[in-house]
Amino acid sequence: MKGLNLWDLRQQLDAANILICFNGPLSQSIIEQLGVAVRRHLEGEALDEGTLYDVFAVYIEQSQNIQNYTAKKAAEGIHASPGSSGVHFDAATIAIGRVEPDHYLVTAGNPVAKADLPALTALLDALAGLDADGLKALYREQRRKPRTGSGAGLGLIDMARKASRPLEYQVREMDEHTAYFHLIAVI
Amino acid sequence: MQYYEKAASVSTPWVRLDPELGRIDLVGESYPANSFEFYQPIVEWLSAYLALDSVHPVHVELELSYVNTGSIKSMLDLFDLLEQAHQDGRAVAVVWKYDSRNQRALETAEEFSEDVSFPFKTLDTFVP
Repeated sequence: MKGLNLWDLRQQLDAANILICFNGPLSQSIIEQLGVAVRRHLEGEALDEGTLYDVFAVYIEQSQNIQNYTAKKAAEGIHASPGSSGVHFDAATIAIGRVEPDHYLVTAGNPVAKADLPALTALLDALAGLDADGLKALYREQRRKPRTGSGAGLGLIDMARKASRPLEYQVREMDEHTAYFHLIAVI
Repeated sequence: MQYYEKAASVSTPWVRLDPELGRIDLVGESYPANSFEFYQPIVEWLSAYLALDSVHPVHVELELSYVNTGSIKSMLDLFDLLEQAHQDGRAVAVVWKYDSRNQRALETAEEFSEDVSFPFKTLDTFVP
C-alpha cells in the first residue's frame, strides 16, 4: 500500500499559496467552521472588507452548491457513483489561497454524474461571455425563478459577479458514469 | 397571532416577529444549509399577520451583513408579500441597516429595493 506523504502534500499546497484546504465529506458545521477560520485569517491580512466579503461569499456558495448537489443525489437514492470508482458524491475538496498580492483563489472539486455535466458547463461557458451588466441582468432574472433542480444557477452567477475574472473549470474522468468537477474562482 | 423569537446562530440571524408592534426583525448573517426551511415560518407568520386585517402597518428592520443566494430567494418571498400589502393600501416600511465599511451589504439591500415600491430605507450604522 502506498502511504500518504503529508510532507509532499504540504509542499504542494504551500507552492500554490493555499491558506486552508479541506478534503472529505462536507457538512453545514464544517462549512461554518472553515468559513470562520478563513475570515479570521483574512482579517489578519488586513484585507479590505469588500474583498474579505467576496472571498467568504464565494466560498459559501461553492461549498453549499456541493452540499446541495450531494443532497439532491441522496434524494434520488444515489450516494455513490454507480461506476467502477464507487466514489461518494459527498467527497469534496475545497481550497482557499492567495494567487497574487491582491487576488484570492477559492476553488472546489467534487464528483458529478456525467449526465449532470452539460447543463453545468453550458451555464459556466455562458457566464464567461457576460460583462458585469449582463451578469446582473441574468442574476435578477434567475433569482425570480422558482426553486428547481440543484439550485446551483443563482450561486454560480453570484460567484461570477464577485470574481475578478471569468470562472474556470476542469473536468476529469473518474469512471464511466462520473467525473471530477473542479471550479476555480479568482477574487 | 403568536410572538416568535429565535436566537442567532453562526449561519442564521436573530429573528423576532412581533404581532403587537407589527414588526419583523432579522439581525445577523444568513446562510443556513436549507434557507427555504429557515424562512418558511417567517413567510407563514407574515402571511397570517397580513390576513388578520388590512389596516395594521408592517415595519421590517433588517441588519444582515451577509446573505447567501438561497436566503435571497426566500427573502424575495417576504418582499413579494410586503409589496402586495403595500399595493393593497397598507403602510409598509423596510429599514435595512448596514456598516458602510462593507459596501456589499449595501449593494444587497439596494438590489432588493430596486424591486419594490414601498418605502425602503438604508441606514449606515458605522460610527468612525
